[in-house]
Amino acid sequence: MMRRCHPSKLGLLALGFTLALSSGLVWAMGSRVPAVGTAAEDFRLVDLEGKQQSLSQYRGKVVLVNFWATWCKPCTTEMPAMQATYDKLREKGFVVLAVNELEDEAKVREHIKQHGHTFPVLMDRDNKVANQFGVFGLPVSVFIDEKGVVQEYIKGGLLTEQVILDAVARIQKPEPMKAASLH
Amino acid sequence: MVVKRFIFSLLLALTLFPLAWSISQPAEAACGSVTCFVVIGSQQQVPQAGLLTFNTIYNYTPMRLLDGTNGVIPAIDQAGRRLILDHHQEVRTITQTVNFDMNYGITDRLGVQVTIPYLWRTHKHIDGLGEDGANGEGELVPFRDNGIGDMTITAKYNVLPTLRSMIVAGFGVQVPTGSTSARDAAGELMESPTQLGRGNVGLIGSVYQTYELIPHRLNQFFYGSYRHTFRNNDGYQFGDEYNLSLGANGVPLERAPWLVLTGQFHWRYLVHDNISASLERSATPADAPDFPGETIVMDPLISNRRVPTTGSTYFAFSPGFQVSLDGLIDSPLTKWTSVYFYSQIPIMRDSNNGLAQGISYIFGISRSFQLTKSGS
Repeated sequence: MMRRCHPSKLGLLALGFTLALSSGLVWAMGSRVPAVGTAAEDFRLVDLEGKQQSLSQYRGKVVLVNFWATWCKPCTTEMPAMQATYDKLREKGFVVLAVNELEDEAKVREHIKQHGHTFPVLMDRDNKVANQFGVFGLPVSVFIDEKGVVQEYIKGGLLTEQVILDAVARIQKPEPMKAASLH
Repeated sequence: MVVKRFIFSLLLALTLFPLAWSISQPAEAACGSVTCFVVIGSQQQVPQAGLLTFNTIYNYTPMRLLDGTNGVIPAIDQAGRRLILDHHQEVRTITQTVNFDMNYGITDRLGVQVTIPYLWRTHKHIDGLGEDGANGEGELVPFRDNGIGDMTITAKYNVLPTLRSMIVAGFGVQVPTGSTSARDAAGELMESPTQLGRGNVGLIGSVYQTYELIPHRLNQFFYGSYRHTFRNNDGYQFGDEYNLSLGANGVPLERAPWLVLTGQFHWRYLVHDNISASLERSATPADAPDFPGETIVMDPLISNRRVPTTGSTYFAFSPGFQVSLDGLIDSPLTKWTSVYFYSQIPIMRDSNNGLAQGISYIFGISRSFQLTKSGS
């Protein structure tokens, strides 16, 4: 014979648990998307050559940090555009850092070799940098200016060569500040 | 070719296994006015902003008596506000449901889900024990109904948005859109538990959690929910419902990422129902010469009474698979589309002398549409 608990007591308990869990986790966890205009938090990751690379070492250049994975179709679709722009602008103060998420190094190496990509590929093995940049869906592209400030944050596979060229041009040649006028 | 043949053989085996199991078991079964439940990730998650996911899910849930139970239950006469003990004997219920489920991401963390069920229900019971028939054996009364059930609107919030983990807290309102006035073959108002709707608002709290154990190959998930439904105008109140599910999804072959195998355990606890009614009992041979005869009033006062044979505990395992058509066939028709099949095999059932849920089957199709562009 099963013992029946009072429904309202159990219900209140369950609701209370749900609310406590939700509200606690809302404040305690969850990655935050960095706001445009704020400084990008530095990170240090190993690339496919085994060398440590950090965001801060590219201070003075416009950096496109792209979060990707080989299984992500929109990611691999936009990578040729990243390569083309990297080839065009690498001597003009632009760099691409392709941050791979949670994949086997051999698999990533094979993909990069097969597609002839030459930009640095960094391995975010414990998902730490993705969390740091509020990434919970792929791909995500973050444009960071010469001073290390986030200028654009793009979710989804929306990068084309023109989009990247325009973004870099906007960042490298900011619009002159308009003089304040009195009405 | 060999891989594909292996996969299809595996899928066939998974599909046939529960069928084989059901053949080898005695006729014991299922849930009449309950439907089986599985966790389908695209239903429980919060989609990215602007993404609308449609799930159409067919669910076949049979219910029969367990061995060692006789199915003699009270009659619920909600129209006359009477609870008549030992007046019915349950035979069978089959519920088929098609759930039309829409899940939309308002933002990347906030979503809304609307579920509209369409039900076909057939039910058989012996009515009038101690009252009808030459020896008070009652008469077999079939019942059949179909229509929209109670729809559910749920607001969901992704509490933990990361690439590897997700925790979604949900709060749903069940709207009484289902009918509560269907009649049986004898023209009598069917009892509340067999009606398509519950007749009043229900509140549902839920938590869904998932974690990628091996990224993009193996993930575990947990789903827990609690439902409370308020008393309806017929004076009937459905008991609270607790659901817990724990399972894992895995991609067995790296060369076939379009195939996902799933295994999940479910535990459901239904608290007994209540009705605001007088209390009567069926006549028994001990009441001769008034047997068979009219029911005997035990307490004419209309007050809240527990329906003694309601409430149940159910534990089951659901093996299944999901095929991403998107990854299998390169066509605009199959974009963001997947199909899935599950069977639900009971492991432990306490049906409280009522009907118990048997092996159930679920299959569905899921398709997503990006309505607005996600961007910076």
